[in-house]
Amino acid sequence: MAETDLGGSGHDTHEHAGTAPMVEEVTDFEVLEIALRELAIEKGLFTAEDHRRYTEHVEQLEPAAGSRFVAKAWLDPDFRQLALDDAIAASQEMGVDWLHPTGFGTPSDFTAFEVLEDTPTVHHVIVCTLCSCYPRPILGMSPEWYRTPNYRRRIVRWPRQVLAEFGLYLPEDVEIRVEDSNSKHRFMVLPVRPAGTEGWSEAQLAEIVTRDCLIGVALPKPGVTTNATRPLHPARRPVAGD
Amino acid sequence: MGNSAMGDLSSQLRVALHRVQDWAYPDQIDHEAFRAYMKTSHDVGGEPDAPALFEDKEEEQWELNTFVTCEVLGWRGIWTSEERRRIGNVDLGRTNYLGLPYYGRWLWAIARCLVDKRHITLGELIERVSEVRERYVDGTGGPVDATPRATGDTEAVPRNRHHREAVGKGDPQCFSGTGGTPGFAVGDEVVVRELPTIFYTRTQEYLRGKRGTVAKVSYESLAPEDEAFDREDQEPEWFYIVRFRMADLWEAYTGCATDTLQAEISERWLRRAA
Repeated sequence: MAETDLGGSGHDTHEHAGTAPMVEEVTDFEVLEIALRELAIEKGLFTAEDHRRYTEHVEQLEPAAGSRFVAKAWLDPDFRQLALDDAIAASQEMGVDWLHPTGFGTPSDFTAFEVLEDTPTVHHVIVCTLCSCYPRPILGMSPEWYRTPNYRRRIVRWPRQVLAEFGLYLPEDVEIRVEDSNSKHRFMVLPVRPAGTEGWSEAQLAEIVTRDCLIGVALPKPGVTTNATRPLHPARRPVAGD
Repeated sequence: MGNSAMGDLSSQLRVALHRVQDWAYPDQIDHEAFRAYMKTSHDVGGEPDAPALFEDKEEEQWELNTFVTCEVLGWRGIWTSEERRRIGNVDLGRTNYLGLPYYGRWLWAIARCLVDKRHITLGELIERVSEVRERYVDGTGGPVDATPRATGDTEAVPRNRHHREAVGKGDPQCFSGTGGTPGFAVGDEVVVRELPTIFYTRTQEYLRGKRGTVAKVSYESLAPEDEAFDREDQEPEWFYIVRFRMADLWEAYTGCATDTLQAEISERWLRRAA
């Protein structure tokens, strides 16, 4: 079993020193996944083409759409208002159509989207205590830690402690508002534009709006353009092209 | 740890916690223990846990394939995502919920749904799993992927109404206008009802009996208790985003007095505060 790679370097952790490469065993999960997909296609539940098309849809999702969304809201008051009044329409302006790719949205993300606007005295953070509800159409796939029982158990009860573990220390005059996205609405945080970004372009601003800022476990900061480095557990047979 | 407002029993449930004997006698399960056993395994909010290192994870190819299969089954009207959540997050039981990988449970849900809804027989599944394993007995020797023997007749498959009726509208917009008049308005003080938990809900236990304020009248939708069991015949109802004070949710809350939490609750779970 591969151990978590604390250095975060990713691949090449399943080599076996001094011997020929071992025969790669196919896991029970891989076997079951293949068996079910074959049977589903053979029974006409869906087609191989459906599966391919949906995979393409998933593979083009990325948090950059959310970053651009926030940068535009910081620069354009009309867009900011639209984002708060009708976040689905605002997404459309940014090229994200929540009805894609089925015509009624993705089955698991629904088409109700709400932007949570931070102020100097209110800070939002998102969780789904019941599963891992997350605005995939605009942020892509959720990070592993967001799905864990640990994050889900604790953020709703000890938010200040958990945020501190992410390196985010909020003062007492800031109200923390935890959004437990337990039903069909999906949420994204609109952080406060930080000082030191005066005169910046939309592209410059978007760079500091990391995925972690959009979940609410970090604040945008000039000079910080990536999520905090975390240990990476590598895949045995990662997604092709990863 | 005795400081939980909800009672800690669920998060500590191990058979050996109570007794070495399996299957308690009926008189050994009181109301509190019954409630702990019936608590839905997905409802983890507020359970005590120690700080842990938050990690990232690279995605396995089978994990992406599994996610896509689940979504495509929703797209083509075989199930709704709420049925998937019920099967893969609750029906499988606490031990498997906490023991299997995240997408392992999604996979479990596909298998269960296809068998339960009579799209495949369990015998077919068992034979196919055995056969796929045989293919790779000498290692992978190339790509690991599905090779369906045929393309089935998509017209002959029973499907839900939702995947057609929601097209061009979205979900929950497809339920718009079907929930009657909302029972609550923004600013109303409400209390989350303390109804028993049986099989499935999305109203978290940590909110039961708690008082909050309606922050948004959200939308109309089937309740999760209906949607999770494919009950398209039931009436949609209104949902509300309710704001709670953290200090009202948790005994001895250690944050600030102004901290709040919001959740989205269906009308059946709310009553007007006295």
